Amino acid sequence: MEEYRYRVRHLTAYTYSGRIDLCHSVAHLAPREDSGQEVLSHRIDVTPVPHFKAEREDYWDNGTSYFEIQGSHDRLEVLSTLTVIKQVGDVPVPRSGIAWDDEKQQLKPGEHDESGLYFANFLFPTKACPFAEGLDAFLEPSLVPGKDSMELVSELMTRVYKEFAYVPGATDTTTPLEVLLKNKKGVCQDFAHVMIAGLRKIGIPARYVSGYLETLPPPGQEKLQGSDATHAWIEAYSKATGWIGFDPTNDRIPAHQHIKIAHGRDYFDVQPLKGLFVGSGGQVLSVEVDVERC
Amino acid sequence: MPVVPIGNLQEQKQLMGKIGYSTLPGRRDESVAADGSILPHWEPLFESVGRHGSGVLVDWRNVANRISRERGLAYRPASLDESDPAEGWSLDPIPWLYSAKNWEVLDEGISQRTRLYEALLTDAYGEQRMLQDKIVPAEILLGHPGFVRALHDLTPGDTVVGLGISAFDVARDASGQPFVVNDRFDHPFGLGLALENRTVVNKVLPRLFRRCGVRRVGQFFTDWFDYLTRRAQSGAENPLIAIVDASGEDEDSEIGFLANYCGILRVHPSDLTVRGGKVWIKALRKLVPVDVIWKTMPGAEMDSLESEMRGKPGIPGLFEAMRIGGVTLASHPGSAVMQSPGLYPFLPKLCREFLGEELKIPPVASWWCGDPAALSHVLANLSSMVIKSVNSHANFQTRYGRRASVEELDELKRTIQANPTRFVGQEEIQISTIPTSRRDKLVPHGSVLRMFSFYDNEKGPSVMPGGLARVSTDDGIVVSTREEGDSKDVWVCSTEAPEPFSIASVVDTSLPAAPYIVPSRTGENLYWTGRYAERAQFIARFSSRIIDGRVRGYSHDEAFEKQHEDLLMEAFYSVFEYDPSGMISPEGDPLDDLLRDPACSIGIPYNLQRFHNASQVTRESWSPASIMAIESCHTGWRRASALPQSHFGFSAELDTLQLNLAAFLGLNLDSMTRDEGWALLDIGRRIERGTLVGGLLTFLLKSEHEGDMSMLLNESVLYILDSVRTYQRRFHKTPNTPMTTLLLLSEPDYPRSLHHLLDRLIDIGGKLPNPKKQEHPLSLLDPMSRKLEGFVGPFIAEVEAGLFQKEEALNIVTEMADTFIDLSDYLTVTYFNHANR
Repeated sequence: MEEYRYRVRHLTAYTYSGRIDLCHSVAHLAPREDSGQEVLSHRIDVTPVPHFKAEREDYWDNGTSYFEIQGSHDRLEVLSTLTVIKQVGDVPVPRSGIAWDDEKQQLKPGEHDESGLYFANFLFPTKACPFAEGLDAFLEPSLVPGKDSMELVSELMTRVYKEFAYVPGATDTTTPLEVLLKNKKGVCQDFAHVMIAGLRKIGIPARYVSGYLETLPPPGQEKLQGSDATHAWIEAYSKATGWIGFDPTNDRIPAHQHIKIAHGRDYFDVQPLKGLFVGSGGQVLSVEVDVERC
Repeated sequence: MPVVPIGNLQEQKQLMGKIGYSTLPGRRDESVAADGSILPHWEPLFESVGRHGSGVLVDWRNVANRISRERGLAYRPASLDESDPAEGWSLDPIPWLYSAKNWEVLDEGISQRTRLYEALLTDAYGEQRMLQDKIVPAEILLGHPGFVRALHDLTPGDTVVGLGISAFDVARDASGQPFVVNDRFDHPFGLGLALENRTVVNKVLPRLFRRCGVRRVGQFFTDWFDYLTRRAQSGAENPLIAIVDASGEDEDSEIGFLANYCGILRVHPSDLTVRGGKVWIKALRKLVPVDVIWKTMPGAEMDSLESEMRGKPGIPGLFEAMRIGGVTLASHPGSAVMQSPGLYPFLPKLCREFLGEELKIPPVASWWCGDPAALSHVLANLSSMVIKSVNSHANFQTRYGRRASVEELDELKRTIQANPTRFVGQEEIQISTIPTSRRDKLVPHGSVLRMFSFYDNEKGPSVMPGGLARVSTDDGIVVSTREEGDSKDVWVCSTEAPEPFSIASVVDTSLPAAPYIVPSRTGENLYWTGRYAERAQFIARFSSRIIDGRVRGYSHDEAFEKQHEDLLMEAFYSVFEYDPSGMISPEGDPLDDLLRDPACSIGIPYNLQRFHNASQVTRESWSPASIMAIESCHTGWRRASALPQSHFGFSAELDTLQLNLAAFLGLNLDSMTRDEGWALLDIGRRIERGTLVGGLLTFLLKSEHEGDMSMLLNESVLYILDSVRTYQRRFHKTPNTPMTTLLLLSEPDYPRSLHHLLDRLIDIGGKLPNPKKQEHPLSLLDPMSRKLEGFVGPFIAEVEAGLFQKEEALNIVTEMADTFIDLSDYLTVTYFNHANR
């Protein structure tokens, strides 16, 4: 089987207008090993050098880093570099052979997946994925009784892709789902949240995935450094297939070009970098991501 | 002391008739047996009321109210519902009496329940056997907002404490069977209030207290601190234990009572910082490590970095510090999930599975609506059910079927059907009644008892012998935690002689004296307590002067009086650099604003409120007498300013206020240790005084008035600064600007002179930490001090020779006033502000 080797360089930089004296951060930047990808290397470099660091795995077994920076600084850089090997093979077929309305009877909150996580984790609304107004109306046209559960998920993916416009800046992490469903524009995180809320509403376990996507330059053009971004998609569960990925931003089933970092209930479980600092003034965030074959 | 029985049944009934207490038909009463006889442990109370006549009930309540007020217990926001602190409680001094025998049943039941929930908490954050074995539906545990996923690897055990102090609301039904109606783990309310009630009631009914042989609660706290000391991760022999109180500065907090009683340090989350995986207190110019944190705020919100709630005050990095064993939390921050009513239907089975025992005190019969059979039972009996959400935090207020109209029941039914897994139905029980004082009557009211316990992993559960009783407002069956009502002390009577146990010995026996630490925020509030006390004192004297002028007059010339008052007002505004056009009615009487308007920043209500807030933050610093003085200032003025009285009527109130403020300031002089906290209080007071004296002197020196007006202005300035007598004794002259200046600027031994104030500031400043390793912590005062030393001698000689240099005096007064302002800024940056470290 053919395999590709990817190198990812993900730089997050905060530039502060005032001096910052103390900063506590949590990062979800380590790639998962259990998603058909082999992790060859991963490291996180923080500037200024943290006074204290700790590594652990969170509730979802995502690699999690904690660090503290003491001492006056006006810029914080977190550089994550990783190398993974992705198998290039058959893309999973989104078909379970089980009707969605049967499936939801079987996937009870008290049942769990192969890793032992209860579906109760993935069946209830969360802050970013509430059962918001407008959700039923969005779902309704696809809810044909007897339809194959994963084909239904696939259809919803396509509909999000077609009915929602990709508009960077139209939303931020605080935009309510209700507004999203009404305005029908947003970015990959938003599309993931819409799908997750919808699937949970109809009793299909769904989770949020953060990661990177290899984007190829238009023919004849050189690929720009930092042109790629962090990406988000979802995974849905069926008894027959286990977890399968769906990328509503690109209307496709994630394969070798999707490099998975973490999964959780929604964005806030796997936020790549979260920090709280002591000091005054505003901040400017810049993010660069390079995904290269090597 | 053995209780002497009150005669036979006939005599007992006569006594009850005299008192006028009769139980409610069909309801169980805790004090009277079915045959109408008084239960033996209630006899001393009834006997006492009978002997004094029931009018004594009014006296008792009045005394209790007065003591509570003096102790700063307004009870107002002390709601028992953690999510709704708006409602208030009052204290009924009639205690709930428990016989030793009845108490033992509760003690055993609550001990077992404490063990059970400790085991369940350990399971929830560990193995989750309750889910694997399908004893509890997964959504009840995992769907609860209090299940904190960030803590999944922090199972109570060697490194993490379990439930900590827990509360259980116990009620008895008509059969006498006790039930638990609520469990509270995360940050149970009421322990501070229970201690405070105990202290107050003990003062109201000391003889009855002894006669009943009431069990003391001190040992419970000794055991608690012993446990925490053993659990300190640092292994320190004398670990630093701090109680974290997240309530705002303008809220009354029962945690202050708790901290006072236990003699431990109370801190706000913002006083704490995590560095290098340890937790530190931001003290004056240094960081002090904390070993154990006793939290009284929602655990899920405690680490603002990992919390799912945003924008709440928290301690970023706390969970990480817990993970690596850098700090011990006195209770698991994920314990809120355990208080889900969703667990009740499964509790008997959980008890069998986890403890191998039958549940001793059952929960109220409960049905989880996620189960179809249970759902139909609940819906069929909705009008006799209590409906609760399985998520305590969810936006659903507990509903009582019995109280609902037909339409409301219909709506409730639809709500449940739309989302059955979210609801639990509970049978409504007829809770027993206890005697409660209502004016001069004893009447039966439904009551619920809140008990407190904790689990010691080596010694097992410990239950406090006492608690907090809550009484329904009417004779209703339901005691809702959202309602207002009376709270009561709970007396566990023993026939044995009471253990000798004083409140003070709680500290002595359980904890070697904690190191004395002044968190920066406390230091800042001590400083402002001093400033606001002095400022309020000043405004009160100023107001008195104005009122005196209007009432008695200082001359026979109305126009002259008016001009004098206008000048004084102008002086007053200039002292505070205040723009009077901002007053409620710029054209109205400014005195109204000063005396009554809580929003007027130069008025008495505003500054007393600030004084009170700052003193509340530093509550542990005050002696009981100081607290009385603080509360008298605060409540006294609130009462006075609410009365529709004339300004003249305020004269006496202003005197009382000054007396109380003077008492407060004097008491501190008398009773506080001369440490850095006291230093800040005293420095605050003196900086404020320096600013006010400097301001008034500046006005006087700038004023061009001569003759009578000058004399009267001088007299007024001296009066406002309480310096008339000193002036008269010192000079034997009518007030004039040169002499006034001499007294208030240069007199070295007069406590109100700028010269003296500066000397004292340098003196007291020596107590402060010296982070910059200067010659003196307040070296910035040196230049002014040197300059003044050079100025004073020649100045005195000149004035005495009749050569008063007004300009020269004005310059130095202005410079002095600026120095005080610089000093205030310096203190803020150096001692109070932790951002730059």
